[in-house]
Amino acid sequence: MKVLVVDDFSTMRRIVKNLLRDLGFTNIQEADDGSTALPMLQSGDFDFVVTDWNMPGMQGIDLLKAIRADASLSHIPVLLITAEAKKEQIVMAAQAGVNGYIVKPFTAATLKTKLDKIFERLA
Amino acid sequence: MSFEADEEILQDFLVEAGEILESLSEELVELENDVDNAELLNSIFRGFHTVKGGAGFLALGHLVDVCHGAENIFDLLRTGKRSVNAELMDTILSALDTVNDMFALVQNKESLVPADANLLAELARLSKPDAAKPVEAIAAVEIEQSVASNEESNSSDEMSEDEFERLLDELHGSGSVSAAPPVIEQVPVSPSTSSASSSDGSSDEISDDEFESLLDELHGQGAFSADAVDGANAALSSSSDDIDDLEFEKLLDELHGKGNAPQFVENALTDESTPPPVEKPVQAKAEVPKAVPQQSVQKKAQEAPVKAAAKKASSTPAPQGETTVRVDTKRLDQIMNMVGELVLVRNRLTSLGLVSDDEDLNKAVTNLDAVTTDLQGAVMQTRMQPIKKVFGRFPRVVRDLARSLNKEITLILEGEETDLDKNLVEALADPLVHLVRNSVDHGVEAPDVREALGKPREGTVLLSASQEGDHILLTIKDDGAGMDAEKLKSIAIERGVLDAESAARMPDKEAFSLIFAPGFSTKTEISEVSGRGVGMDVVKTKITQLNGTVNIDSELGVGTVLEIKVPLTLAILPTLMVVVGKQTFALPLASVNEIFHLDLSNTNSVDGQLTIIVREKAIPLFYLDQWLIRDFVKKSRDKGHVVIVQLGNQQVGFVVDSLIGQEEVVIKPLDRLLHGTPGMAGATITSDGGIALILDIANLLKFYAKKSPVNKKLRS
Repeated sequence: MKVLVVDDFSTMRRIVKNLLRDLGFTNIQEADDGSTALPMLQSGDFDFVVTDWNMPGMQGIDLLKAIRADASLSHIPVLLITAEAKKEQIVMAAQAGVNGYIVKPFTAATLKTKLDKIFERLA
Repeated sequence: MSFEADEEILQDFLVEAGEILESLSEELVELENDVDNAELLNSIFRGFHTVKGGAGFLALGHLVDVCHGAENIFDLLRTGKRSVNAELMDTILSALDTVNDMFALVQNKESLVPADANLLAELARLSKPDAAKPVEAIAAVEIEQSVASNEESNSSDEMSEDEFERLLDELHGSGSVSAAPPVIEQVPVSPSTSSASSSDGSSDEISDDEFESLLDELHGQGAFSADAVDGANAALSSSSDDIDDLEFEKLLDELHGKGNAPQFVENALTDESTPPPVEKPVQAKAEVPKAVPQQSVQKKAQEAPVKAAAKKASSTPAPQGETTVRVDTKRLDQIMNMVGELVLVRNRLTSLGLVSDDEDLNKAVTNLDAVTTDLQGAVMQTRMQPIKKVFGRFPRVVRDLARSLNKEITLILEGEETDLDKNLVEALADPLVHLVRNSVDHGVEAPDVREALGKPREGTVLLSASQEGDHILLTIKDDGAGMDAEKLKSIAIERGVLDAESAARMPDKEAFSLIFAPGFSTKTEISEVSGRGVGMDVVKTKITQLNGTVNIDSELGVGTVLEIKVPLTLAILPTLMVVVGKQTFALPLASVNEIFHLDLSNTNSVDGQLTIIVREKAIPLFYLDQWLIRDFVKKSRDKGHVVIVQLGNQQVGFVVDSLIGQEEVVIKPLDRLLHGTPGMAGATITSDGGIALILDIANLLKFYAKKSPVNKKLRS
């Protein structure tokens, strides 16, 4: 399972990577915002995207939309990291085709639950 | 939290978030002059947001509180629901200070204390939309509001996209857009989905359940792509609620085939029961200009595609791996130290090569010489940092100070890109802050005074850096009142720093340097700002420790210029090697002015101090062997080598037994036993394999020339 972690804050990328690693994901790559993530996704066979919402350059939601709009990427599940579970934000994300969201800060256990839910739905 | 123990991540966070905080402080000052800069507001918002996010993971709750408050305020600012004013800036800046203080605590591994309750309350108060703004702006019809906020602040994508979507709903009626994917009923922005779990109370926050039901509504109960995973489902039929890693892997294998399988991707695509919802907004966007009569909306919509195009363009460059690596400075110090050792070996080899006639050896040594020099330069380069790191804090320093003193001051920064050694950047920070504060406090006059003098109300402080050979020149210049040499002298006499006689003889330029004398403060009253006991002498000492010099010049009514010169690096020191008695000593070359041969009988005694005349200038002369050689026996000499060194504005001559020459040395700190020996800066290994002590001239004079009257002058 090849995962792309997208966040402009490298400490946060490390945190998320560590959590994912705790959950057994080992093939993890990083991108620092949507505009760097997109070409990586297009050229690499990623299976999963974990992206922050709030980033300079290309925001997480725009990345999500771009992924859904690209025929070769639209199947990739996307987990969105947000700071607040604001309803309108989440609704917007859901409409844009997000598979799950998670609110900062979170633990490995929370992340696992979220991932499980996503894959359950995919199944 | 699982990361409490993760020291490494914490350190990373401190470094990275520290950078964010630095730029935040710059941006905040910038914001004050450019209150409507949407980009700036966004960037500040994101800064606090990011720090908050990281702090949350690291269980730094108090830090989260403050950042959260600040973030909320900027969320309002960037959406135009509040506007920047001085009071708000003060609160935000003090919030930033609090965050910085907390950082310091975390760095020192101390436990955090909660932020000042008043500050938090103030932040919370400011986090509510501006009362001054008409309430209707907030409660108004969605369309108007989104249009207004878009216009006002051209706010973030996140917000405006959302408003835009709602706008579209209002314009076309929910779900009426023809291009909308079949499965997706346009989900109303809030009410219907929340009804199921409205018992939760909070209407803004979404719960897991709500989200689940939302997804169900969007994609139909069940799965994203039912067909593609039928097989997988079968395989997992036993436990469909939970999934473990193994099952998960199996599932993936079924979905995409072992490894990867492009045709499955294709498959997944066609089977995907959720065609990209994004299509809808895209389509709709194109329609908006026709459908909406309101001009402002039209404008916005027309801008949107342009923006999108620009974004596309910026996202096209091929992905590149990270080109930078974070390295612990300790490791760099280690490398530098080893390069230092290599330089010493090179020096030794070079001097051996000079003696031998072996041509091949000489060639090899020359080669080594060149490579080592390059290596030394390259390693030094890795430790270089732009002085911007220090300069960056000055806009804030000057702003705060000017505000508290009711002065109007423009700070001009020049040469921020000038690189110098990391250690130097850090070591220079405090002295520079002190000097700049001084310029603002004592230099620049109050606006009314300036006006009366025919100067512009606004004073200017210039802070510049530039490289001059192997030195960095820092200049702090103000267009303030300048210094009064006579006043300085009289104060110096009053404080016993100077006697009346030498004061009378002292040229003005030297008098300016009196401010560096210990116990000298030109203000009779200690102002809160710069007269905090630690005076300019501390600044001077600090700079001298860095092998640097301070020069001061001033003109009454016109302004003052301070020039600081420091070497590019602290690790390698060019020295002049001299012999005193049988021992080798190294004098920092930076302070050596000239060397000459002197007829020692041609000296005078002034005021009990041995003096020589060089180009009509009297220079005190000392015999180094009197100070540095054990069991010194006075020997009669009629000729000797004299090294003239510069110390601030003062020159001093040293008599030495012989001169060896110029050599680059690596400073090794003195052993614990010898540490603190007066007048010694350290030791080094010479090219002939011996050991030389490096002299700290300022200290040497302070300690040994104590009884001499010249000392008073020297210390000034």
